Amino acid sequence: MLFDSEKSKFETLVKAYSPELYRYAYWQCRDRFLAEDLVQETFARAWQAWDKLRDDKAAKSWLYTILRNEHARLFERKRVEIDDGQELNDIVDTASSSVYDQLEMRDALKALPASYREPLLLQVLGGFSCAEIAGMMEISEGAVMTRLTRARLALRKMPGLNAGRRMKAR
Amino acid sequence: MNCFEFRRKILASPRERTREREQHVRACAACEDLANEVERFEAGLHDAALVPVPDALAARVLLRHKVHQPARFGVLALAASLVLAVGVALQFYGGFPGEENQAAPAATRSEHQAAAAAISYVLDYEPQLLAENRAGDPGEMRQALVQLGLRLPADGVTVRYLGKCPVVPDGTGEHIVLKTALGQVTLILAPGRSFASREVVAYRDRTAIISPARAGGYILISDSQKTIRHLEKMLM
Repeated sequence: MLFDSEKSKFETLVKAYSPELYRYAYWQCRDRFLAEDLVQETFARAWQAWDKLRDDKAAKSWLYTILRNEHARLFERKRVEIDDGQELNDIVDTASSSVYDQLEMRDALKALPASYREPLLLQVLGGFSCAEIAGMMEISEGAVMTRLTRARLALRKMPGLNAGRRMKAR
Repeated sequence: MNCFEFRRKILASPRERTREREQHVRACAACEDLANEVERFEAGLHDAALVPVPDALAARVLLRHKVHQPARFGVLALAASLVLAVGVALQFYGGFPGEENQAAPAATRSEHQAAAAAISYVLDYEPQLLAENRAGDPGEMRQALVQLGLRLPADGVTVRYLGKCPVVPDGTGEHIVLKTALGQVTLILAPGRSFASREVVAYRDRTAIISPARAGGYILISDSQKTIRHLEKMLM
Protein backbone atom coordinates (compact mmCIF):
# COMPACT_ATOMS: atom_id res chain seq x y z
CA MET A 1 0.00 0.00 0.00
CA LEU A 2 2.90 2.27 0.77
CA PHE A 3 4.17 1.76 -2.74
CA ASP A 4 0.77 2.49 -4.22
CA SER A 5 0.55 5.69 -2.23
CA GLU A 6 4.05 6.83 -3.21
CA LYS A 7 3.43 5.82 -6.80
CA SER A 8 0.24 7.80 -6.84
CA LYS A 9 2.08 10.83 -5.48
CA PHE A 10 4.76 10.40 -8.11
CA GLU A 11 2.15 10.19 -10.87
CA THR A 12 0.58 13.40 -9.62
CA LEU A 13 3.97 15.11 -9.84
CA VAL A 14 4.55 13.81 -13.35
CA LYS A 15 1.20 15.12 -14.52
CA ALA A 16 1.63 18.45 -12.74
CA TYR A 17 5.20 19.28 -13.71
CA SER A 18 5.89 17.55 -17.03
CA PRO A 19 4.80 20.54 -19.13
CA GLU A 20 6.84 23.20 -17.35
CA LEU A 21 9.87 20.91 -17.04
CA TYR A 22 9.61 20.22 -20.77
CA ARG A 23 9.56 23.95 -21.52
CA TYR A 24 12.51 24.58 -19.26
CA ALA A 25 14.37 21.66 -20.86
CA TYR A 26 13.53 22.98 -24.30
CA TRP A 27 15.08 26.35 -23.54
CA GLN A 28 18.10 24.63 -22.07
CA CYS A 29 18.82 22.50 -25.14
CA ARG A 30 16.53 24.03 -27.83
CA ASP A 31 15.70 20.62 -29.20
CA ARG A 32 12.19 19.19 -28.80
CA PHE A 33 13.25 15.56 -28.85
CA LEU A 34 16.13 16.09 -26.49
CA ALA A 35 13.90 18.13 -24.19
CA GLU A 36 11.48 15.21 -23.91
CA ASP A 37 14.33 12.81 -23.24
CA LEU A 38 15.56 15.12 -20.49
CA VAL A 39 12.12 15.18 -18.89
CA GLN A 40 11.89 11.39 -19.11
CA GLU A 41 15.31 10.99 -17.53
CA THR A 42 14.50 13.54 -14.84
CA PHE A 43 11.47 11.61 -13.66
CA ALA A 44 13.27 8.28 -13.92
CA ARG A 45 16.01 9.60 -11.64
CA ALA A 46 13.47 11.23 -9.36
CA TRP A 47 11.74 7.90 -8.83
CA GLN A 48 15.04 6.15 -8.24
CA ALA A 49 15.85 8.70 -5.53
CA TRP A 50 12.28 9.04 -4.29
CA ASP A 51 13.14 8.31 -0.66
CA LYS A 52 15.40 11.38 -0.64
CA LEU A 53 12.45 13.70 -1.13
CA ARG A 54 11.66 14.56 2.48
CA ASP A 55 9.44 17.58 1.91
CA ASP A 56 6.69 17.45 -0.68
CA LYS A 57 6.79 21.24 -0.96
CA ALA A 58 10.35 20.98 -2.23
CA ALA A 59 9.40 18.55 -5.01
CA LYS A 60 9.23 21.16 -7.74
CA SER A 61 12.67 22.68 -7.11
CA TRP A 62 14.05 19.16 -6.63
CA LEU A 63 12.80 18.15 -10.08
CA TYR A 64 14.23 21.28 -11.67
CA THR A 65 17.57 20.57 -10.01
CA ILE A 66 17.59 17.00 -11.33
CA LEU A 67 16.80 18.28 -14.81
CA ARG A 68 19.59 20.86 -14.62
CA ASN A 69 22.01 18.15 -13.56
CA GLU A 70 20.87 15.82 -16.35
CA HIS A 71 21.34 18.57 -18.88
CA ALA A 72 24.81 19.32 -17.53
CA ARG A 73 25.70 15.62 -17.70
CA LEU A 74 24.53 15.49 -21.28
CA PHE A 75 26.71 18.43 -22.21
CA GLU A 76 29.68 16.86 -20.47
CA ARG A 77 29.34 13.76 -22.63
CA LYS A 78 28.52 15.37 -25.89
CA ARG A 79 28.16 18.90 -27.10
CA VAL A 80 24.63 19.07 -28.43
CA GLU A 81 24.41 20.47 -31.91
CA ILE A 82 21.84 23.20 -32.12
CA ASP A 83 20.43 24.24 -35.44
CA ASP A 84 18.91 27.60 -34.69
CA GLY A 85 16.62 27.53 -37.68
CA GLN A 86 15.44 23.98 -37.28
CA GLU A 87 13.08 24.32 -34.36
CA LEU A 88 11.76 27.81 -34.69
CA ASN A 89 8.97 27.12 -37.15
CA ASP A 90 7.91 24.07 -35.17
CA ILE A 91 7.42 25.91 -31.92
CA VAL A 92 5.46 28.85 -33.23
CA ASP A 93 1.85 28.81 -32.18
CA THR A 94 0.29 30.17 -35.36
CA ALA A 95 -3.05 30.61 -33.64
CA SER A 96 -1.60 33.39 -31.56
CA SER A 97 -2.29 36.94 -32.69
CA SER A 98 1.07 38.10 -31.39
CA VAL A 99 3.03 35.45 -33.21
CA TYR A 100 5.67 37.85 -34.51
CA ASP A 101 6.18 39.39 -31.08
CA GLN A 102 6.71 35.88 -29.74
CA LEU A 103 9.15 35.07 -32.52
CA GLU A 104 11.16 38.17 -31.73
CA MET A 105 11.13 37.42 -28.03
CA ARG A 106 12.12 33.81 -28.62
CA ASP A 107 14.97 34.92 -30.83
CA ALA A 108 16.06 37.32 -28.13
CA LEU A 109 15.85 34.62 -25.46
CA LYS A 110 17.94 32.29 -27.58
CA ALA A 111 20.56 34.96 -28.04
CA LEU A 112 20.96 35.52 -24.30
CA PRO A 113 24.04 34.00 -22.71
CA ALA A 114 23.14 30.77 -20.88
CA SER A 115 24.22 32.23 -17.54
CA TYR A 116 21.53 34.90 -17.92
CA ARG A 117 18.89 32.78 -19.63
CA GLU A 118 18.89 30.03 -17.05
CA PRO A 119 17.91 32.03 -13.95
CA LEU A 120 15.48 34.04 -16.05
CA LEU A 121 13.63 30.92 -17.18
CA LEU A 122 13.64 29.46 -13.69
CA GLN A 123 11.87 32.63 -12.63
CA VAL A 124 9.54 33.04 -15.62
CA LEU A 125 8.58 29.38 -16.11
CA GLY A 126 9.10 27.97 -12.65
CA GLY A 127 8.02 31.01 -10.67
CA PHE A 128 10.96 30.61 -8.31
CA SER A 129 12.17 33.43 -6.06
CA CYS A 130 15.70 34.79 -6.28
CA ALA A 131 16.59 32.89 -3.10
CA GLU A 132 15.28 29.60 -4.52
CA ILE A 133 17.15 30.12 -7.79
CA ALA A 134 20.29 30.89 -5.82
CA GLY A 135 19.90 27.57 -4.02
CA MET A 136 19.40 25.63 -7.23
CA MET A 137 22.27 27.26 -9.06
CA GLU A 138 24.53 27.28 -6.01
CA ILE A 139 25.34 30.97 -6.34
CA SER A 140 24.50 33.90 -4.06
CA GLU A 141 21.13 35.60 -4.12
CA GLY A 142 22.88 38.83 -5.07
CA ALA A 143 24.46 37.14 -8.07
CA VAL A 144 21.03 35.85 -9.14
CA MET A 145 19.55 39.35 -8.90
CA THR A 146 22.41 40.75 -10.94
CA ARG A 147 22.00 38.12 -13.65
CA LEU A 148 18.24 38.62 -13.80
CA THR A 149 18.60 42.38 -14.07
CA ARG A 150 21.22 42.08 -16.80
CA ALA A 151 19.14 39.46 -18.64
CA ARG A 152 16.14 41.79 -18.78
CA LEU A 153 18.23 44.79 -19.77
CA ALA A 154 19.89 42.72 -22.50
CA LEU A 155 16.51 41.53 -23.81
CA ARG A 156 15.22 45.07 -23.90
CA LYS A 157 18.20 46.24 -25.88
CA MET A 158 17.95 43.50 -28.48
CA PRO A 159 17.02 44.70 -31.94
CA GLY A 160 13.54 43.78 -33.04
CA LEU A 161 11.91 43.92 -29.65
CA ASN A 162 9.36 46.68 -29.28
CA ALA A 163 10.30 47.20 -25.66
CA GLY A 164 13.87 47.73 -26.67
CA ARG A 165 12.88 50.41 -29.14
CA ARG A 166 10.85 52.12 -26.43
CA MET A 167 13.77 52.03 -24.05
CA LYS A 168 16.10 53.53 -26.64
CA ALA A 169 13.64 56.32 -27.33
CA ARG A 170 13.75 57.43 -23.69
CA MET B 1 12.99 53.00 -1.24
CA ASN B 2 14.66 55.26 -3.81
CA CYS B 3 14.41 55.08 -7.61
CA PHE B 4 17.69 53.20 -7.98
CA GLU B 5 16.62 50.54 -5.51
CA PHE B 6 13.18 50.30 -7.10
CA ARG B 7 14.62 49.78 -10.61
CA ARG B 8 17.09 47.21 -9.38
CA LYS B 9 14.36 45.20 -7.67
CA ILE B 10 11.73 45.42 -10.37
CA LEU B 11 14.15 44.21 -13.03
CA ALA B 12 15.39 41.34 -10.86
CA SER B 13 12.03 40.25 -9.54
CA PRO B 14 9.09 41.89 -11.33
CA ARG B 15 6.40 39.63 -9.89
CA GLU B 16 7.27 40.44 -6.34
CA ARG B 17 4.87 42.92 -4.78
CA THR B 18 5.91 44.68 -1.60
CA ARG B 19 4.40 47.59 0.26
CA GLU B 20 7.63 49.59 -0.23
CA ARG B 21 7.43 49.18 -3.99
CA GLU B 22 3.78 50.12 -4.12
CA GLN B 23 4.45 53.23 -2.08
CA HIS B 24 7.32 54.25 -4.33
CA VAL B 25 5.28 53.77 -7.51
CA ARG B 26 2.53 55.99 -6.13
CA ALA B 27 5.08 58.71 -5.38
CA CYS B 28 7.23 58.55 -8.56
CA ALA B 29 5.71 58.95 -12.04
CA ALA B 30 8.84 57.77 -13.88
CA CYS B 31 9.01 54.56 -11.86
CA GLU B 32 5.27 54.04 -12.35
CA ASP B 33 5.84 54.19 -16.14
CA LEU B 34 8.68 51.73 -15.81
CA ALA B 35 6.53 49.40 -13.69
CA ASN B 36 3.80 49.41 -16.35
CA GLU B 37 6.28 48.77 -19.11
CA VAL B 38 7.92 45.96 -17.18
CA GLU B 39 4.52 44.38 -16.63
CA ARG B 40 3.82 44.36 -20.39
CA PHE B 41 7.30 43.12 -21.14
CA GLU B 42 6.99 40.27 -18.61
CA ALA B 43 3.71 39.15 -20.16
CA GLY B 44 5.39 38.94 -23.57
CA LEU B 45 8.38 37.14 -22.12
CA HIS B 46 6.16 34.61 -20.36
CA ASP B 47 4.12 33.90 -23.50
CA ALA B 48 7.25 33.49 -25.58
CA ALA B 49 8.73 31.02 -23.10
CA LEU B 50 5.60 28.83 -23.23
CA VAL B 51 6.59 26.64 -26.16
CA PRO B 52 4.02 23.95 -27.05
CA VAL B 53 4.31 20.75 -25.04
CA PRO B 54 4.09 17.43 -26.92
CA ASP B 55 0.81 15.54 -26.56
CA ALA B 56 0.68 12.81 -23.93
CA LEU B 57 4.08 13.70 -22.51
CA ALA B 58 3.09 12.73 -18.95
CA ALA B 59 1.66 9.43 -20.18
CA ARG B 60 4.95 8.58 -21.87
CA VAL B 61 6.89 9.47 -18.73
CA LEU B 62 4.67 7.21 -16.65
CA LEU B 63 5.01 4.42 -19.19
CA ARG B 64 8.77 4.48 -18.91
CA HIS B 65 8.49 4.73 -15.14
CA LYS B 66 7.24 1.13 -15.08
CA VAL B 67 10.88 0.12 -15.60
CA HIS B 68 11.60 1.07 -12.02
CA GLN B 69 8.87 -0.88 -10.26
CA PRO B 70 10.15 -3.02 -7.41
CA ALA B 71 11.23 -6.59 -8.07
CA ARG B 72 8.71 -8.10 -5.63
CA PHE B 73 6.18 -8.27 -8.43
CA GLY B 74 8.77 -10.05 -10.55
CA VAL B 75 7.58 -13.65 -10.70
CA LEU B 76 4.00 -12.90 -11.64
CA ALA B 77 5.00 -10.18 -14.06
CA LEU B 78 7.56 -12.43 -15.72
CA ALA B 79 5.03 -15.23 -16.08
CA ALA B 80 2.52 -12.83 -17.59
CA SER B 81 5.08 -11.33 -19.89
CA LEU B 82 6.26 -14.72 -21.12
CA VAL B 83 2.70 -15.53 -22.13
CA LEU B 84 2.56 -12.13 -23.79
CA ALA B 85 5.86 -12.70 -25.58
CA VAL B 86 4.53 -15.89 -27.13
CA GLY B 87 1.53 -13.95 -28.38
CA VAL B 88 3.72 -11.18 -29.70
CA ALA B 89 5.95 -13.69 -31.49
CA LEU B 90 2.91 -15.06 -33.22
CA GLN B 91 2.00 -11.52 -34.20
CA PHE B 92 5.50 -11.15 -35.63
CA TYR B 93 4.81 -14.19 -37.78
CA GLY B 94 1.68 -12.45 -38.95
CA GLY B 95 -0.84 -14.93 -37.65
CA PHE B 96 -1.55 -17.82 -35.36
CA PRO B 97 -0.55 -21.47 -35.88
CA GLY B 98 -2.90 -23.17 -38.24
CA GLU B 99 -3.72 -20.03 -40.14
CA GLU B 100 -3.10 -20.13 -43.84
CA ASN B 101 -0.41 -17.48 -43.91
CA GLN B 102 1.73 -18.98 -41.16
CA ALA B 103 3.96 -20.95 -43.53
CA ALA B 104 4.80 -17.99 -45.74
CA PRO B 105 8.27 -16.44 -45.38
CA ALA B 106 8.69 -13.50 -43.02
CA ALA B 107 9.76 -11.22 -45.85
CA THR B 108 6.22 -11.30 -47.24
CA ARG B 109 4.71 -10.11 -43.96
CA SER B 110 3.97 -6.52 -43.33
CA GLU B 111 6.97 -4.70 -41.88
CA HIS B 112 4.51 -2.58 -39.99
CA GLN B 113 3.10 -5.62 -38.24
CA ALA B 114 6.55 -6.88 -37.29
CA ALA B 115 7.56 -3.47 -35.95
CA ALA B 116 4.34 -3.15 -33.96
CA ALA B 117 4.89 -6.62 -32.51
CA ALA B 118 8.42 -5.66 -31.52
CA ILE B 119 7.19 -2.46 -29.85
CA SER B 120 4.59 -4.41 -27.89
CA TYR B 121 7.26 -6.82 -26.77
CA VAL B 122 9.54 -3.99 -25.69
CA LEU B 123 6.85 -2.12 -23.78
CA ASP B 124 5.40 -5.14 -22.03
CA TYR B 125 8.37 -7.42 -21.57
CA GLU B 126 11.55 -5.36 -21.49
CA PRO B 127 10.98 -3.52 -18.16
CA GLN B 128 10.94 -6.81 -16.29
CA LEU B 129 14.05 -8.03 -18.11
CA LEU B 130 15.87 -4.82 -17.24
CA ALA B 131 14.81 -5.06 -13.61
CA GLU B 132 16.17 -8.59 -13.40
CA ASN B 133 19.45 -7.55 -14.98
CA ARG B 134 19.95 -10.85 -16.79
CA ALA B 135 22.73 -11.16 -19.34
CA GLY B 136 22.87 -13.02 -22.65
CA ASP B 137 25.80 -14.27 -24.69
CA PRO B 138 27.99 -11.43 -26.03
CA GLY B 139 29.55 -13.82 -28.58
CA GLU B 140 26.18 -14.54 -30.19
CA MET B 141 25.38 -10.85 -30.23
CA ARG B 142 28.67 -10.03 -31.97
CA GLN B 143 28.06 -12.78 -34.52
CA ALA B 144 24.59 -11.44 -35.26
CA LEU B 145 25.92 -7.90 -35.60
CA VAL B 146 28.61 -9.03 -38.05
CA GLN B 147 26.04 -10.99 -40.03
CA LEU B 148 23.99 -7.82 -40.43
CA GLY B 149 26.97 -5.59 -41.19
CA LEU B 150 26.57 -3.61 -37.99
CA ARG B 151 29.01 -2.79 -35.24
CA LEU B 152 28.67 -1.43 -31.74
CA PRO B 153 30.74 1.72 -31.32
CA ALA B 154 33.44 1.67 -28.67
CA ASP B 155 32.26 4.94 -27.12
CA GLY B 156 28.96 6.64 -26.55
CA VAL B 157 26.87 3.52 -26.04
CA THR B 158 26.28 1.35 -22.98
CA VAL B 159 24.67 -2.09 -23.19
CA ARG B 160 21.97 -2.26 -20.50
CA TYR B 161 20.56 -5.63 -21.44
CA LEU B 162 21.44 -8.48 -23.73
CA GLY B 163 19.40 -11.59 -24.38
CA LYS B 164 17.50 -13.69 -26.85
CA CYS B 165 14.47 -12.14 -28.48
CA PRO B 166 11.43 -14.44 -28.59
CA VAL B 167 9.59 -12.27 -31.11
CA VAL B 168 11.99 -13.29 -33.87
CA PRO B 169 11.07 -16.70 -35.19
CA ASP B 170 13.48 -19.68 -34.93
CA GLY B 171 15.13 -18.31 -31.78
CA THR B 172 17.78 -16.43 -33.77
CA GLY B 173 16.84 -12.97 -32.58
CA GLU B 174 18.99 -10.91 -30.26
CA HIS B 175 17.49 -8.32 -27.95
CA ILE B 176 19.84 -5.54 -26.92
CA VAL B 177 18.98 -2.48 -24.86
CA LEU B 178 21.41 0.36 -25.38
CA LYS B 179 21.83 3.57 -23.47
CA THR B 180 23.01 6.45 -25.62
CA ALA B 181 23.67 10.11 -24.95
CA LEU B 182 20.21 10.87 -26.32
CA GLY B 183 18.33 8.11 -24.54
CA GLN B 184 17.56 4.44 -24.44
CA VAL B 185 17.12 2.41 -27.61
CA THR B 186 16.18 -1.21 -28.09
CA LEU B 187 17.93 -3.02 -30.93
CA ILE B 188 16.43 -6.27 -32.13
CA LEU B 189 18.66 -8.19 -34.48
CA ALA B 190 16.95 -10.61 -36.81
CA PRO B 191 19.69 -12.41 -38.77
CA GLY B 192 18.30 -14.44 -41.64
CA ARG B 193 15.01 -12.50 -41.63
CA SER B 194 14.90 -10.21 -44.61
CA PHE B 195 12.46 -7.37 -44.44
CA ALA B 196 11.13 -6.16 -47.76
CA SER B 197 11.66 -2.47 -47.09
CA ARG B 198 12.78 0.06 -44.56
CA GLU B 199 9.87 1.52 -42.58
CA VAL B 200 9.32 3.94 -39.75
CA VAL B 201 6.45 2.81 -37.54
CA ALA B 202 4.85 4.71 -34.67
CA TYR B 203 2.85 2.58 -32.29
CA ARG B 204 1.86 2.78 -28.60
CA ASP B 205 3.95 5.86 -27.79
CA ARG B 206 7.06 4.37 -29.34
CA THR B 207 8.72 4.69 -32.71
CA ALA B 208 10.42 1.84 -34.53
CA ILE B 209 12.61 1.74 -37.57
CA ILE B 210 12.59 -1.65 -39.24
CA SER B 211 15.21 -2.15 -41.89
CA PRO B 212 16.72 -4.85 -44.05
CA ALA B 213 20.46 -5.37 -43.54
CA ARG B 214 23.24 -7.39 -45.15
CA ALA B 215 22.03 -10.86 -44.21
CA GLY B 216 18.86 -10.21 -42.30
CA GLY B 217 17.25 -7.24 -40.71
CA TYR B 218 17.00 -5.21 -37.56
CA ILE B 219 14.49 -3.17 -35.63
CA LEU B 220 15.35 -0.11 -33.55
CA ILE B 221 12.81 1.09 -31.00
CA SER B 222 12.78 4.17 -28.81
CA ASP B 223 10.49 6.93 -27.67
CA SER B 224 12.19 9.39 -29.99
CA GLN B 225 12.98 8.98 -33.64
CA LYS B 226 15.93 11.32 -33.25
CA THR B 227 17.44 8.97 -30.68
CA ILE B 228 16.95 6.03 -33.03
CA ARG B 229 18.62 7.78 -35.94
CA HIS B 230 21.45 8.89 -33.68
CA LEU B 231 22.13 5.28 -32.70
CA GLU B 232 21.61 3.93 -36.21
CA LYS B 233 24.37 6.19 -37.53
CA MET B 234 26.67 4.87 -34.82
CA LEU B 235 25.92 1.27 -35.75
CA MET B 236 26.83 1.71 -39.42
